[in-house]
Amino acid sequence: MASETTTRRIDRPALVVALLLFACAGIVANDAASQTIVSTYGLGPTAVPYVVSICLAVLGLAHLVVAFKEGIPKPGPADTVAILWIVGGLVGLVACIAFGGGFILATALIFACTARGMGRRAFAVDFIIGLVLGLVIFLVFLKLLTLSLPAGPLERLFF
Amino acid sequence: MDTLLDLFHGFTVAFEPSKLLFCLIGVFLGTAVGVLPGIGPALTVALLLPVTFKLDPAGSLIMFAGIYYGGMYGGSTTAILLNAPGESASLATALEGSKMAKAGRGGPALATAAIGSFVAGTIATIGLAFLAPWLVEIAVHFGPWDYFGLMILAFVTVSATFGDSPLRGLTSLFIGITLGLIGIDKLTGQARLTFGVPELLNGIEVTTLAVGLFAVGEALYVASQRAHAPEEIIPIKGSLWMNRQDWKRSWAPWLRGTAFGFPIGALPAGGAEVPTFLSYSTEKRLCKYPDEFGKGAIEGVAGPEAANNASAAGTLVPLLTLGLPTSATAAIMLAGFQQYGLNPGPLLFAEKPDLVWGLIASLFIANVMLVIINLPLIGLWVRLLAIPQPWLYAGILVFATMGTLAVNPSPVELSMLFGFGYLGYLMRRYDYPVAPMVVGLILGPMAEAQLRRALQISLGDPMILLENPGSATLLGIAFIALVAPFVMKGLNKFKAAED
Amino acid sequence: MLTSILKRGAVTALALAGLTTAAFAQLELKLMAPAAPGGGWDGTARSMQQALTSAGIAKSVQVTNVTGAGGTIGLSQLINAKGDGSQLMVNGFVMIGAIVLNKSPVNLTQVTPIARLTAEAEVIVVPADSPIKTAKDLADRVKADPAKVTWAGGSAGGTDHILAALFADAVGGDPKKINYIPFSGGGEALAAMLGGRVTAGISGYGEFEGQIKAGKLRAIAVSSPKRLDNAPDAPTLKEQGINLELLNWRSVVAAPGLSDAQQKTLADAVEKMAKSKEWAEILKARGWDDAYLGGADFAAFQKAEIERVTKVMHDVGLVK
Repeated sequence: MASETTTRRIDRPALVVALLLFACAGIVANDAASQTIVSTYGLGPTAVPYVVSICLAVLGLAHLVVAFKEGIPKPGPADTVAILWIVGGLVGLVACIAFGGGFILATALIFACTARGMGRRAFAVDFIIGLVLGLVIFLVFLKLLTLSLPAGPLERLFF
Repeated sequence: MDTLLDLFHGFTVAFEPSKLLFCLIGVFLGTAVGVLPGIGPALTVALLLPVTFKLDPAGSLIMFAGIYYGGMYGGSTTAILLNAPGESASLATALEGSKMAKAGRGGPALATAAIGSFVAGTIATIGLAFLAPWLVEIAVHFGPWDYFGLMILAFVTVSATFGDSPLRGLTSLFIGITLGLIGIDKLTGQARLTFGVPELLNGIEVTTLAVGLFAVGEALYVASQRAHAPEEIIPIKGSLWMNRQDWKRSWAPWLRGTAFGFPIGALPAGGAEVPTFLSYSTEKRLCKYPDEFGKGAIEGVAGPEAANNASAAGTLVPLLTLGLPTSATAAIMLAGFQQYGLNPGPLLFAEKPDLVWGLIASLFIANVMLVIINLPLIGLWVRLLAIPQPWLYAGILVFATMGTLAVNPSPVELSMLFGFGYLGYLMRRYDYPVAPMVVGLILGPMAEAQLRRALQISLGDPMILLENPGSATLLGIAFIALVAPFVMKGLNKFKAAED
Repeated sequence: MLTSILKRGAVTALALAGLTTAAFAQLELKLMAPAAPGGGWDGTARSMQQALTSAGIAKSVQVTNVTGAGGTIGLSQLINAKGDGSQLMVNGFVMIGAIVLNKSPVNLTQVTPIARLTAEAEVIVVPADSPIKTAKDLADRVKADPAKVTWAGGSAGGTDHILAALFADAVGGDPKKINYIPFSGGGEALAAMLGGRVTAGISGYGEFEGQIKAGKLRAIAVSSPKRLDNAPDAPTLKEQGINLELLNWRSVVAAPGLSDAQQKTLADAVEKMAKSKEWAEILKARGWDDAYLGGADFAAFQKAEIERVTKVMHDVGLVK
């Protein structure tokens, strides 16, 4: 992709950033415009958002200029599989908490997936390490700090 | 002279063996809990408050002091070792500290943080003992316009965290300011940019953004580069301890950090973040090795850590003299006082001198204990980095999510944490600095609220910002700091042309 | 025959009584604080936990924190726990305002009210060197030029703001025109008062007590129905001819859809706790005032408060 963009002389990442900044500016301005309640005295809740929106638009313009000039730094190659493992672990964690899987399971999941993403090939062992780690943290929080972490089926076995 | 006598008396209270033991337990517990990211000193004290219920007032307050300083210090440990700033005040510490840790200089980084905290804490506590009544008079006369001036000054100096491209730095900063707009507007109670999601009404939590961008983002980045350019973590390179050079480079930042932290911490809305930013940018400007900034300059750890701890002692000034809790931690401390029917404030020094001076003396003692406990632990902490990389980063992610799971275990909050993590990864990939974004989130809402309060008091007249000497001076300094680099450049060009 | 029935009845009653005490000790409760650990509602929840277990009323009480949106996220979770007889939640006056302000889809009429526990009076103060001596003086100024009277207090739509609006309304001023400046936390508001930046300040009495006693602030009125025990010199608003009472109360509510028996168990447990020695000690240590109000009385009280707050939030222009 990097070579493609240099031949076309338009830096695609910079273009994307410019568009995202314009989008942000639009959203902020639109939100400010839809506010119905203003302050009786001094500056209202919309003044600063408008200023921020203008600044975002200016930064977007600057990126647009840069996109047609030197562009933003080109990144090297990235290991997509590794990223997918970790992102998968993070998504799994959110799902685990959202559907009541509990803290220990969530911890084991993120631990094993991250270790896999970082190149280890012992998922089962790592999962068990994660479970033990999660259990220890859960107990420390509950007993010493009286903070209850999200509980699921595993946690209920103990209490 | 009276003050000295009182202080001496305070030491006789605090030096009983049982009190020393409470102090030791407090420091230990505080450090242990403060290490957890997302659990800052305020929450540490809140959670451990019930432990102190059973003690007598003096013993309890002394334990408190230990927990407070221990919690403050614990935050810097994770910031340096894991690049997970558990509270906004240790953000600046993480910038250089984590770089040092990865280059095998974690030992000196932790040491300069510990000793810097000790130096700053001690000087600031002396300040608390001798200057409090005088300082507080100035502090309460600091109006919203003055705070606005201070925030603008902090904004101007933020460019120190921008890296090599002003465009990418400013972009990061403004995304942060935009994030700061999300949630309920402090002055009118209106929801802004919440898109009907109730979880967004409280705004974006600074620790969620910081831990996401720093810790999660970095884990993703390191994983993505492993096959091509594996990151090398050196647990220990050279001495575990600070060498002569480190000492030479640390002492002045400690003192300057204290000079920023203590007075700003004493301001009712000063906080701990602004002085750490000011300290970081000052050190970057004054440093003899500016190239090292961004790669692990010890000044960048020594200064902000000292500023952070000095501001902690600073918040005790309005708390003890006026009963004003000016930070979350101070509010919890106030609750601690009140459980014994004590009301901090102007009368406390007169009514309960034993307690007040006992507390101040125990702050000194807590500080000493903190150093004694933590310096030997450094060797142990640093060895954490010797854990095989897959487990180290897996552990960091578990740690990073733990704070959020304990305080606010909602799927929305967790998704934000990871969303910011992915954003942090992309920003690293395209060489956008992440720190300005967090700075924008912290300073943006503060600056806006103070400006609007000022204008509400003046009924919309902006001249109020220039009519008050305090705000006029601060805005003037900010203006000079903004234009000085350009003027200097111009002058140099001019001179070069002359020659 | 009759006597034997009576006897049997008595035995059953005794057995029932025995059962209920046993049931108390068996009680396992979940208590939600709809705020982060360390805040006011969290403090109430953890104190209740302490009192319920140490007085032997409940076997275990688990405190959970649900953060966000002025407690309304916690409220919607409670509503989802329909029929769960072991789930309680701490809330209070502030939540009513948050519900209106956030246009929350859920509200307090959807849960089972249990009891009001504590209440704190608000105090209106002016700097010691202010020419304003009484609530009447302040009222005159509010009527004359509301813009010039700047109020310092807590968050927008919170108790302090509502009191300022009710004050303007009660003295015949325009609540929409009040120049109320919200500060984050009592500390900042107090500094604004001491620095003489604002005309008047409003806060819970406890927060300003030290300054009032030290003579730096003058308490011109308290919002309670009677003068406070610890501040006999501060007159009430009523005494000064302003028909206004406001208490910042905290209460406990339960999940919706409970059977009468479930509701009674919870109400009895909370009542027993509120009257226990352990609770009295906690109240004293924390400086809270007992304001126990249970059952239907509390339900009616809460309803009246909701109406009052909703109206004033519209009057003051916080919602349209």
